[in-house]
Amino acid sequence: MRNATSSHLLKSLSPKLPAALTLLTALTMWYPAPATAEDFGGSMFSFNGFGTVGVVHSSDDKADFVGGLLEPNGAGYSRSWSASVDSLIGAQLTANLTPQLTAVLQLIVQQNYDNTYWPHVEWANIKYQFTPDFDLRIGRMVLPTFLVSDSRKVGYSNPWVRPPVEVYSLNPIAALDGVEASYRLHLGEVTNTLQSSYGRNVSIQFPAGAHVDAPYQWGIFNDTEYGAALLHLSYVLSPITLNSASTAALFDAFRLFGPQGAAVAEDFEVVDKSVTVLTIAGSYDPGQWFAMGEWIRTRCECFIGVTTGWYVSGGYRVGAFTPYLTYAQVTERTTSAPGLSLSAVPAYLAPTVAALNAGLNELLASRPVQYTSSMGVRWDFMKNFDLKVQLDRMNLGAGSTGTLLNIQPGFQPGSTVYLFSTAVDFVF
Amino acid sequence: MKRIGSLGWMLIGVALSLASAAAMADVVAVVSAKSSITALSKSQLADIFLGKTNRFPDGTQAAPIDQAEGSAARDEFYDKIVGKTAAQIKAYWSKIIFTGRGQPPPTVSSPAEMKKRISDNPAAIGYLDRSMVDDSVRVVF
Repeated sequence: MRNATSSHLLKSLSPKLPAALTLLTALTMWYPAPATAEDFGGSMFSFNGFGTVGVVHSSDDKADFVGGLLEPNGAGYSRSWSASVDSLIGAQLTANLTPQLTAVLQLIVQQNYDNTYWPHVEWANIKYQFTPDFDLRIGRMVLPTFLVSDSRKVGYSNPWVRPPVEVYSLNPIAALDGVEASYRLHLGEVTNTLQSSYGRNVSIQFPAGAHVDAPYQWGIFNDTEYGAALLHLSYVLSPITLNSASTAALFDAFRLFGPQGAAVAEDFEVVDKSVTVLTIAGSYDPGQWFAMGEWIRTRCECFIGVTTGWYVSGGYRVGAFTPYLTYAQVTERTTSAPGLSLSAVPAYLAPTVAALNAGLNELLASRPVQYTSSMGVRWDFMKNFDLKVQLDRMNLGAGSTGTLLNIQPGFQPGSTVYLFSTAVDFVF
Repeated sequence: MKRIGSLGWMLIGVALSLASAAAMADVVAVVSAKSSITALSKSQLADIFLGKTNRFPDGTQAAPIDQAEGSAARDEFYDKIVGKTAAQIKAYWSKIIFTGRGQPPPTVSSPAEMKKRISDNPAAIGYLDRSMVDDSVRVVF
């Protein structure tokens, strides 16, 4: 039994992982001296890292639970216990070139869309601090769309094993190559930070061979802090194109049926369509306990449609333990459509049109609907380490496969799936 | 059976708070005697030590300094100004560091070194056990 589990663990680590780790180690070695904060006055460089080693077990073996849409496999069908969902390691080099000029390079090793473990550049930018409260960044950045989007991979900074997928999987386009301006305003005891970003998205590759391109992406983000309270508002707009052979074939087939067929394709195909993501989020963390919540709406005049995700989460600290509860859900305004009217085509084409309509509805039904209750505990068992254990009960919406991937024959849409997760997070 | 009256509860409360005050050393926020700052509020201190501002309320530069990680004075100081444990403060800074938004205050190896750094630099702000306070520094909280 024990052997079976550990072989699962080993299998989930690709042979390329050691190579990637060596690269990270090399980066560590290259750095001239360990930058302990003890060096008063600050050296020019600082080297920091973070990581998570975690495993997830799913009660359903006919579909995979994954942390995000970009992961090729996860817990359930591919592996009974998956280490790839949450495990990762990140390393960051910060160079304080002058008091105003800072450069940051952050690499992360985690499972890629193609099941390899090559490190990717999460952050690579130069920041110029014009005034103590105004700065400009140029390079690669992660958009702060949600409350913890930009730090979602730093498990140690978050209360849960992973941010709720009902919200955090809604916007896989997280990174941007471009510019960002940030302006901080102090109004008495209130601190307000307004940030705006513009740039090109980093091409998003999906495991199924599809990829998403956005020629540009624009976002505005506002944080209002008052003591332990934080209000986060954000709005992101980007025109996107989904490059997928299977959906392209479906909509091309619709176009063969004259103006009405073309209209269906135009309504649902993701070609140069605007996607907007609106976020309203808040948190209150006076130390002894915390409460937080987010509400997100993504909107697209395409099959992605109008998706609403939200969660509330709270926890109470008892010594080194912080037990927490979370409720999260994601719903879709439209999960079916009439498609092309059968009466508009000659009778002998009706079966073909019915098949196309079924294909369209399959696409619409693939949008996630699920309701999840979670409980867990974080234990700060030693300096710079935490251990988390979490139980999730995911109720999939009627007829929906929720956020699960790799659906196998025999899977019951609308069923209830239980997850058990445990993870150790660390920072150095 | 007579239960403990409200006066009884009050006495227990007073006794408990005295006990917890005695268990904690008295850590105070200090600036250089050369500084123009005379007093700061808890939230002003929190903003400075959490990197939300790098200026004192009068607009002059503020350069916070931390004692060593794991030191009793440091843990008590953060408990006092933001009600958070060392692990919670570390988690807070992890988010700031790994989003390229900043670095935590530099640390000194000993309280004596902290006192020296502060007395030398009018912009510096730190914290010391009250027993270490002398003419070279000024208590602001």
